[in-house]
Amino acid sequence: MSSTIHTPEASASHETDSKKALLDEAVRVVETLRKLGADEASASYGWGVHSDLARREGKVETATSATSKGLTVSVLVNKKYSSHSTSDLRPAALDAFLQRAVEATQYLEPDPEQGQADIALCGRGATPEELDEFDAAWRDFTPEQRAQWAIDLEEAVKAHAPANMISASASVADGMNQSARAMSNGFAEVEEGAWYSLGAEMTLLDDGKRPEAYVYYGARYRSDLPDVQAIAKELAAKAQERLNSGPVESGQYPLILLNQAAGRIVGILGGPLSGGALYERRSCLIGKKGEKIGSDLLTLVDNPLIPRGLGSRPFDGDGLRAQKRTVIQNGVLENYYIGVYYGRKLKMDPTSSGASNWVIEAGQQSWQDVAKQFPKAILVNSFLGGNSNATTGDFSFGIRGQLLENGVPVKSLSEMNISGNIMSFFHKLSHVGNDPWTYSSMRSPTLIFDDVAFSGV
Amino acid sequence: MNSLDQQAALNWFAQFGVVESHFAQVLAAATAYGADDADLYFEHATSVSVSLSDEKVNAAYTSVDLGLGVRVVVGDQVGYAYTEDLSLESMIRAAQSAAQIAKGGKLHAPVKTSVLQLPDYYPINRHWSDVAISERVPMVRKWEQAAFARDARIKRVQASIADAEKRVLIVSADGRMAADYRPMTRAMVSCTAEDKGVRETNYYNIASRAGLDWYSDERQDRLVHEAVSRSIWALDAGTPPAGEMTVVMAAGSSGILLHEAIGHGMEADFNRKGISIFADRVGKRVAPEGVTIVDSAVLPQARGALNVDDEGSPTQRTVLVEDGIMRSYLHDRISARHYGVESTGSGRRESFRHPVLPRMRCTYMEAGNHTPDEIISSVKKGIYCESFGNGQVQIGAGDFAFYVRQGYLIEDGKLTQPIKDVNIIGNGPKVLETIEMVGNDLVIDEGGWTCGKDGQSVPVSQGMPTIKVKNLSVGGGRR
Repeated sequence: MSSTIHTPEASASHETDSKKALLDEAVRVVETLRKLGADEASASYGWGVHSDLARREGKVETATSATSKGLTVSVLVNKKYSSHSTSDLRPAALDAFLQRAVEATQYLEPDPEQGQADIALCGRGATPEELDEFDAAWRDFTPEQRAQWAIDLEEAVKAHAPANMISASASVADGMNQSARAMSNGFAEVEEGAWYSLGAEMTLLDDGKRPEAYVYYGARYRSDLPDVQAIAKELAAKAQERLNSGPVESGQYPLILLNQAAGRIVGILGGPLSGGALYERRSCLIGKKGEKIGSDLLTLVDNPLIPRGLGSRPFDGDGLRAQKRTVIQNGVLENYYIGVYYGRKLKMDPTSSGASNWVIEAGQQSWQDVAKQFPKAILVNSFLGGNSNATTGDFSFGIRGQLLENGVPVKSLSEMNISGNIMSFFHKLSHVGNDPWTYSSMRSPTLIFDDVAFSGV
Repeated sequence: MNSLDQQAALNWFAQFGVVESHFAQVLAAATAYGADDADLYFEHATSVSVSLSDEKVNAAYTSVDLGLGVRVVVGDQVGYAYTEDLSLESMIRAAQSAAQIAKGGKLHAPVKTSVLQLPDYYPINRHWSDVAISERVPMVRKWEQAAFARDARIKRVQASIADAEKRVLIVSADGRMAADYRPMTRAMVSCTAEDKGVRETNYYNIASRAGLDWYSDERQDRLVHEAVSRSIWALDAGTPPAGEMTVVMAAGSSGILLHEAIGHGMEADFNRKGISIFADRVGKRVAPEGVTIVDSAVLPQARGALNVDDEGSPTQRTVLVEDGIMRSYLHDRISARHYGVESTGSGRRESFRHPVLPRMRCTYMEAGNHTPDEIISSVKKGIYCESFGNGQVQIGAGDFAFYVRQGYLIEDGKLTQPIKDVNIIGNGPKVLETIEMVGNDLVIDEGGWTCGKDGQSVPVSQGMPTIKVKNLSVGGGRR
């Protein structure tokens, strides 16, 4: 089937109009809130188009399409703060909504640190052209092309499937979003982007078990995605790796953390780096700025300005102008995530309210070369469950992967965990691969750690 | 409006311009190319939350969500579209988009709608929309002050009360109409404790499909007491040794083991596709005698309770495993038609923006005969798990995991060293086979659990008596 038609608004000539209309509406909402008694107000007005198509057994399984709209406002009255969102945008409903938003704040307690940023700090850190988040080809991407893309992916998956395959599915999705933000400090900007994703899953029969594997790729430009044949090959290889899996003996092993899985572990730094966690004393990184929290090989940069980056943005949640910042330089903690509100509470200069793209500086060697030197090592390529404690830095995650002997895979691993503490774990980083992952906002190469605690049998 | 009052539901949606004569027109567009099934899911959801941090009740959040989801089903193929705009023109456009799945399908004659009579598992005295923000503010303030008063080692407190009410109206092409009013409330207190240079954070939360009067003094007191005592407790907790060991799961939120080890694997969409490790096991023994596992929508006021599911099917108590024998999958209408059975009322969706999937509601194990003390004292060396953060499962491999926030070592039949922050992993069918003792102390947990599947989150509950299991790998750091 052909899944959907684009809405009339999505045509090129209407996009410019809709951007202006969104911005005008966001500004009007802020003005209305001010008239209703808000000392400060902000509004985000957005809409998007979304289509997805999943195929299995030679036919379409689900096809979803929609155009979606929504408004979020925040208001400050006598330093009392509240935030409100709605998808009921009928004019009369909207007026009542704004009225209630202002009224809602009166019952709260004032918080002197609430308030918008100095307008001098707000604005765009890059032009839309520099960020390059909108694939112009998306406008001409037809339902027929989407349907064919899904067929091509499913056919490729089938062609590469091993004989013991039970089921495989293929899905494609794409869309675009435009969002206008206006603030009573004078900030008024629009951001927009298109996106595409490809995903496939495969289940094999394996002696009573039915191990599954999946691959997923997302990008701003369709041409940046791998071709369907490469995805199908990767999927089949991943599924076959999962056969005959089980645990090995508990103990300390070198950990080879594959690039596409590394974000899950590196990401646990995000919680304790936030201003909220620092202020609420639920961070293991309190007072660690300027201190060594990882090995010399650990350099982590927050870069919102990467062209076509999935975490790229011209400004942050507070409207602060986006800029590249080093978070960790050669193991030394250089910057926290400090938004405007917690900046005032902590008496620190604001950096940014949250992470954009996380880029871990890549090394020179391939992980395969490094792995050869270890008599035994564990390659981790995905996780099952697990969590971390931002206050103490403790973490524990279920893992899947391979036991390597001198770099050669000898056993597929499951039913195992890794555990540790952030404060010692990143000191064990001994090698950084040359293979940065770019299909996510977590852009890490493969990371290799000495002596990590694995539990198995 | 309650679940029994369809007219009230129609009146409710009439305020957004939706009138009964629209249903036939939109369904006609949805089934223009034929369909085996088609439905309209109208939803109006509002929520309010008030939160405290830094010793101030300093933020309120509200939301309004309104829209229609149109679903067209041909065999096991689903066309789906939604709109936030409930004008007839926009609804018909959504229906036309969803209808495209069905090109070449059979034609479906329109049927006059009949109203489904439903029970009410969550009657409410006063709607949340009638509760002022000013009534919520003193509650969170009181919890905070009680938490600080309880122990001088509590240095930071965060607290919130969040409530929501969702009104749904489901109209299907085969002539069924059902409506529901679904309240939900959740309260949370989180504390940071510090003592002798050690700092820890922990929290407690309670949730229910209920109104303001659910917050009895006893319940509010327990909320604060648990948040404080769990935070203080953590100051002395350590890490367990690593490896495979015997695990005693405490009564209550240990139902997370059932949710992951078997619950997801029993969702019929995975079995219809042959990708669940439990595919083809109905009628077979999967656990020892004495093990009965249930997924129920009918526990009054439970977070996972439902008067009617999200495709208009009546709900029920579904027995997944009876005395060790696998009995039934969790069905929505698509899988029920595939297997030639009735829906178990398990068709759920996060919102009008999402198609229906078979989902859990409240998953628990029926009580057995052993006292909790008997079970703990039977273990020479192992661990005892009491509270949990999150879990995950691989449907086909059957491997599952859950994250333990609170537990103890068991040494010579006694609880000893407190342990925390540890992931535990096992294989569903393997672990079910090794359930050795089932306690007589079933508790349905009152926590605000949320289950995620295919990008959709729905509220669920879970429960468990104390049980003993083997073959779990504990992700400790100590050897």
